[in-house]
Amino acid sequence: MLGLDDVHTYYGNIRALRGVSLAVESGEIVTLIGANGAGKTTTLRTILGTVRPRRGTVTFNGHRLDTLATDRIVRLGISHSPEGRRIFPRMTVLENLELGAFARRDREAIAPDLERVFALFPRLRERVAQKGGTLSGGEQQMLAIGRALMARPTLLLLDEPSMGLSPILVDTIFQIIQDINRQGTTILLVEQNARMALRVAHRGYVMQTGRLVLHDAAGALLRSDLVRKTYLGEK
Amino acid sequence: MSPGARRALQGAALGAGLLVYPFLDRSLGLQTVHAVSDGMIYVLLALGLNIVVGYAGLLDLGYAAFFAIGAYTMGLLNSPVLGSPLYGYRWSFWVCIWLAAGVSAVLGVVIGAPTLRVRGDYLAIITLGFGEIIPVAIRNLGDITIDIGGWRPIVRLNLTGGENGVNPIGRPHLPGVPFETDPVPWYFLILVIGLASLWAMNRLRDSRLGRAWMAIREDETAADCTGVNPISTKLLAFALGASFSGFAGSVYAAKLQAITPGAFEFQVSIMLLCMVVLGGTGSLTGVILGGMLITLFDRVVLTETTSMVRSVGRATGIAALTAADLTLWRWFFFGLGLVLVMLLRPEGLAGRRARPLAAVADDTDDPAALEPAPRVETIPGWLRERAERGGVVPEAAPLLEVRGLTKRFGGVVALNEVDLVVPRGAVIGLIGPNGAGKTTFFNVVTGLIRPDGGRITFEGARLAGLRPNAIVARGIARTFQSIRLFPQMTVLDNVLVGEHCRLAATVAGAVLRPPAVIAEEARARARARELLAFVGLGGKADDAARNLPYGDQRRLEIARALATEPRLLLLDEPTAGMNPRETETLTELIGILRRELSLSVLLIEHDMAVVMGISDRITALDYGTRIAEGTPAEIKRHPRVIEAYLGAGYEQELAARTPAR
Amino acid sequence: MTWWEVLVQQTINGLTRGAVFALIALGYTMVYGIIELINFAHGDVFMLGLFVSLAWFTLLGVTTTLTGWQLVTLLPLCFALTMLTTAALNVAIDRVAYRPLRRSTRLAPLITAIGVSFMLENVALLWKGPAPIAYPDVFPSFDILREWFGVDSAIFVTSKDLLVVGATLPLMLALHYFVTRTRWGKAMRATAQDRETAQAMGIDVERTILLTFFVGGALAGAAGLIQGMYYNIGQWWMGYQAGLRAFTAAVLGGIGNMAGAALGGLMIGFLSAWSDQYISARWTNAIVFSILILVLVFRPHGLMGERTPDKT
Repeated sequence: MLGLDDVHTYYGNIRALRGVSLAVESGEIVTLIGANGAGKTTTLRTILGTVRPRRGTVTFNGHRLDTLATDRIVRLGISHSPEGRRIFPRMTVLENLELGAFARRDREAIAPDLERVFALFPRLRERVAQKGGTLSGGEQQMLAIGRALMARPTLLLLDEPSMGLSPILVDTIFQIIQDINRQGTTILLVEQNARMALRVAHRGYVMQTGRLVLHDAAGALLRSDLVRKTYLGEK
Repeated sequence: MSPGARRALQGAALGAGLLVYPFLDRSLGLQTVHAVSDGMIYVLLALGLNIVVGYAGLLDLGYAAFFAIGAYTMGLLNSPVLGSPLYGYRWSFWVCIWLAAGVSAVLGVVIGAPTLRVRGDYLAIITLGFGEIIPVAIRNLGDITIDIGGWRPIVRLNLTGGENGVNPIGRPHLPGVPFETDPVPWYFLILVIGLASLWAMNRLRDSRLGRAWMAIREDETAADCTGVNPISTKLLAFALGASFSGFAGSVYAAKLQAITPGAFEFQVSIMLLCMVVLGGTGSLTGVILGGMLITLFDRVVLTETTSMVRSVGRATGIAALTAADLTLWRWFFFGLGLVLVMLLRPEGLAGRRARPLAAVADDTDDPAALEPAPRVETIPGWLRERAERGGVVPEAAPLLEVRGLTKRFGGVVALNEVDLVVPRGAVIGLIGPNGAGKTTFFNVVTGLIRPDGGRITFEGARLAGLRPNAIVARGIARTFQSIRLFPQMTVLDNVLVGEHCRLAATVAGAVLRPPAVIAEEARARARARELLAFVGLGGKADDAARNLPYGDQRRLEIARALATEPRLLLLDEPTAGMNPRETETLTELIGILRRELSLSVLLIEHDMAVVMGISDRITALDYGTRIAEGTPAEIKRHPRVIEAYLGAGYEQELAARTPAR
Repeated sequence: MTWWEVLVQQTINGLTRGAVFALIALGYTMVYGIIELINFAHGDVFMLGLFVSLAWFTLLGVTTTLTGWQLVTLLPLCFALTMLTTAALNVAIDRVAYRPLRRSTRLAPLITAIGVSFMLENVALLWKGPAPIAYPDVFPSFDILREWFGVDSAIFVTSKDLLVVGATLPLMLALHYFVTRTRWGKAMRATAQDRETAQAMGIDVERTILLTFFVGGALAGAAGLIQGMYYNIGQWWMGYQAGLRAFTAAVLGGIGNMAGAALGGLMIGFLSAWSDQYISARWTNAIVFSILILVLVFRPHGLMGERTPDKT
């Protein structure tokens, strides 16, 4: 479904991604893990078109993404829950969710999708008229994911959903991520918390300073000590 | 012909032309000298504005206010018209121009002070506001009456001449030179003042102060953290920039013999801005060129074109053309000029176009692309000397001691009672996941942020409440996560800015250049070159910083930090974005600094291999709290560290799935 | 007049001025909120609104006071035409002068905006000349207190005051409805709060910006028409002063905050009327600009804005 082929992305003079090639098949949860500064968020931003690769290609269901504008990419069926949540602080929960559906043409189907999101995140229904900035961290994360779901994406990009959340909430969120996947959405999950990510994912890529250094089934990665060594700088 | 000789010849030709021109004009009966002299006054004003806008990067939209103050100071002190005791005495022109410059400089400080902490576009609006208030005040202070329920302490006081302005105004007196209606003496007077001003501005630009201005313009925060005091530097820009318009204004007043508030409106400020922008902000020749072009356009081109159009109209019989008056279009053209310059050539006519970033050299592990690693012999002698002299505190005491540091942003605790010690001559690593508070820690220690609790002691002295540039002077230097150089300045100048806090040249010293200042500058340059050679940038001293490849930029930032003669170096993710070769070079450099210079280093890094390899001890943060402190070996195995990076329960998970060994 | 009659009269004057300022301030605040640009030329769009409305009236053959059914057909038509013209003008300005500089520093588009402002003023100068232009007495003017209520008072409340309120309120309500209830209005607000994320939602950011300029320009045009009908006078340089006063209003209320712009507009309206009366019209400009400077220095987020820390 999604393929990156030898992608090199630069920020000005800095090469942030060095020859990244990965693939996500339909129905999977694929996780991209690695320490800070590894380039995980840059990968997502390259997919979304926020930054353009200088070399390499990004394809999605046969379409080339690296030449499209972001709003076109979103219309193709990709949506995004950003790092740090980035919900619209002065807009209500409902408005945030509605904005997630902004690019959709099938406006009649929005209401049932809204129901589905509330079913996944009952706490959001309770706070439906509250301004986004007043929600707690966990609620904001739920809102961010819910907002991304409102686009009825075929591919959902999740960036560090666990950041800043208590362990219990992290468990809840990851359970919901699995539910979403079971309901048919393919997910590319970027995480720093390797353990949680590898437990829910089917496959995993480990990134380090812009390069992919490990790739395997999630279970295998979880069992091997290589991930820890990579994170903590042992050769 | 050698370039030096050619330039001398060009200079001589220009000089001769300037000297001969008015006499030529007189004999040819062209009568252009008056207009040219007026134009020169505006060019002088534009040069003053250039100091504020071009050098210091402060967009001043109300510059005409200084012009007004200069003119009115001359007018008020020199006019027999107004009746108060101060004005009855006729001051000498030659005294007045200095007074006018001084008063303008004071006004510059007054207007500049409120803008110090304000963003660039708001700063522009504030200066605009002052530019509006001053003419209003001038207009209305011509007839002041205070009437409080019948008590009238002041009746019809005329301070400024009001709407009618001030006239006549006394003329300069020079034995043998009549300053009357003949334009030639005025021309030479303005020429002399102009050339003297140019000379002073040139000197200012190539001085410690000039570099400080440009650093502020490029990146105020980075300049602050490199030892430049933004407050005094900005105020000096306003004051000095304004003082030149004091000169210009007083000559203008004396020449015109009459000044009215209408001559100092917003449009004048904008016309001056046009000159600076068109010519190229920051370039003296550019501004002169821009000024001449605009004056020429305004006074000559529009009128001539109007005549041409009219004669065409008469010839072809088109009524609309015969009635055309293109001079009414002047503001349209000025506005259009501003728009076009901003869109097409923002660096102005004389500015250097920002070259597109050089194609990045492919940073593979190619050994042929080897850059010279810093070698011990090339450590600058003076740096070594300073290190050997040692500090004021006994060797055993820690260099930096942080206790209980706390910082809250709204409801979020960014730093929670953090303790950290940096001993002399040690490399301490600071690690932690995203958002753990590492950069916040740096920002507090370097003075960019005020902590909510805790104490920081450096070399035995508290750092509480000090500005970033003062902390640099104490001996703490830093680099930034996203490299913050001064991109348009040369590599050498970047390092020289680092020396700013160790040099002593004042404004007077910059302009007059006594031997002490010349020697100081020479020493500073020599030191800077040695530093560049040390970090491996020796041949690139005259390149623009923004054209350097990434690895070089990092090293330049370190050289700049070293120029401040620090005892403690704070490095924020120095290896970010580097390839393995560059990382290795950098690691060696840090090692040399520590070994040979006993420089202490506090290092934020994500590259674990680097941190583990080079640090003596490591502190780990998570959610603003210190979770571990110890040697690299200890930290690698520390359960809370593993948890913080890899997720809670990782170790247990691993143990559960790995068969027992 | 007794002192309280003067006060009431000046307050009513302040209200009408304030309404016009509010409409202009809204344009400033919306554009600043979304692209952080001080649209220096906005005041001149207001001025051209007055000029353009006069042209439309002439085109429609309106030279004398409107009566009866004309008030209900021609007047709204002229509003619509004027607002469309100024909206298109504002959009064109953005397209040509500001959009190429989107990624540039904050100062470059400000300088460009000043250039555009001068160009517009000069166009007006050449179009109608330097002298004040006479705006025909298009709107019927009579003293309401006398003719409707039979009250004999020194205070003047005229039908024109009703016009100002009657035109401004619906416009503001319509704007409120637009930004809070419609899809594109919400897109505008979202883009102003977080441009990158808005883009990731599939919002076409450039189109949203254009829409902002369109709406802002329309409001400025309406303000110009109202100004013309109320004061029956206009001049090519009025945009500069009105623009700065309206910008002060926007800053005072909290730049980026629309309710703040409306509130600020009213406050500056009252302030300028009281200053004209109790101090002197010659000092009012200085007073307004002093307020601008004080707000920018001591409370840049204004009365209703949010404190946003600058990133180090």
